[in-house]
Amino acid sequence: MAKAMLIDTSMCLFCNACSVECKQQNKVPVGKNVFYTQMQIHEEGKFPKVRQLFIKRACNHCTEAACVDVCPTGALYHHADGYVVLDQNRCNGCGYCSQFCPFQIPMLEIKDAFTGAGKSYKCTFCADRVGQGYETTCSAACPFGAITFGDRENLLAKGKDRVKALQGRGVKDARLYGEKELGGLNVLYVLEGKASLYGLPDVPRYPVIPKVRDVVRGLGYAAVGATVIGAGLNWVIARRNIRAEEGLEEEEGKSHEKK
Amino acid sequence: MRKNDKELVTVFSFVQRLVHWVNFLGFMLLLFTGAFLFAPPLQGMVVGPAGWLSRAGHRWGVIIVAAAVLIYLLFNPKGMLRSMKEIFTWRKTDWKWLRAAPRYYFYGEESGMPPQGRFNTGQKSFYLVYVLTLIVLAATGLIMWLGKGSVSPALFQWSVLLHDLAAIAITAFFLIHLYLATFHPAMRAAMDAMRFGFLPKKYLRHHHARYYDELFPK
Repeated sequence: MAKAMLIDTSMCLFCNACSVECKQQNKVPVGKNVFYTQMQIHEEGKFPKVRQLFIKRACNHCTEAACVDVCPTGALYHHADGYVVLDQNRCNGCGYCSQFCPFQIPMLEIKDAFTGAGKSYKCTFCADRVGQGYETTCSAACPFGAITFGDRENLLAKGKDRVKALQGRGVKDARLYGEKELGGLNVLYVLEGKASLYGLPDVPRYPVIPKVRDVVRGLGYAAVGATVIGAGLNWVIARRNIRAEEGLEEEEGKSHEKK
Repeated sequence: MRKNDKELVTVFSFVQRLVHWVNFLGFMLLLFTGAFLFAPPLQGMVVGPAGWLSRAGHRWGVIIVAAAVLIYLLFNPKGMLRSMKEIFTWRKTDWKWLRAAPRYYFYGEESGMPPQGRFNTGQKSFYLVYVLTLIVLAATGLIMWLGKGSVSPALFQWSVLLHDLAAIAITAFFLIHLYLATFHPAMRAAMDAMRFGFLPKKYLRHHHARYYDELFPK
């Protein structure tokens, strides 16, 4: 059963309880510039009609996850419950995930600029807590019920109800984000307007390159295989022919290239 | 082989041979560490802190190849310029050579092979592909190495792809280069030229007739 979180931005008061608890859960030391989750304020409109939109941003745990597909170490993978796990012990800091993520979420900490040694960081979906039947830290921390943890199906229904309620109250642009995007996100958002107002892509796109790269990888195997087979074939045929030729020449006593 | 043999002609200077073997060293390092990252069956080599070693190896490879280019540029700029001129100059005889080559390399049938310069067309193609892919690999590699986070993700992604394609091209050409230098039954002399720097006069007249005529005008 796919697990998910529903983030209801209309309920968020920007208290930052979630991000503070997240830091503690992940033992991020003071002063370290690493975010597993981040609170953002986006402003909309012109004075005097201005409003602030709050959103909690973190990994959206895509079903079609580009980071999982480009990770060369297998550090990133899908848990059976649908979310995307990042195994810090396998990560070598190549940073492909941070560059291929359609939401630009994973943060790369480079420890050595020469070797590129480092680690990538992103929301863990509190895999250790969720695995033991608890809810995620951020949802447990939220005092307003803006973050709900549960089965994805239930949260989808809940999100749709909430959107209807908001529309009934006059928020015409209210919408649910994440139902179909990238094969379905495991973090769903109730938004009060277009996704781009919140710094989210309106239509997140799976990058083209990882799929092209699969073809290129096949091409690479084919090229190397064809070269090796061609060289082997050449060796067998050429050795026979050239030996026969050399034998003839030696008989006639006019072998060149030999002293 | 002794240098003071009248029958031997110097074709590669010490600097040129040094550049070749330094390049070889760096290239091997780059080839293997790159393959670890590229091919899923080998990706066990880049996991965790062991991956830092592999990635450091790739950067050392870059420095070694850059050093090779720098040595050539500093100690034998004329030789470098001349080689570059040669590999970028393509004549009609080169296409003729390419057409005649399969018969030669498979059957030892050399009647169709046109006279060659210091590099024959095959050697020239390898050198040319090496130089061209080196430029692409260096440009895209530097973007991925130093530009992470400061260049746009789209540029980074295209760099990954172009780096892959260039690496595949040079790997295929390198395998042929390696095979001809070490395994092909008829190609022993070229390896001697790159190890000791000189070739028998007879061989030169036979296989690099145009170059021979330049060296020893009639």
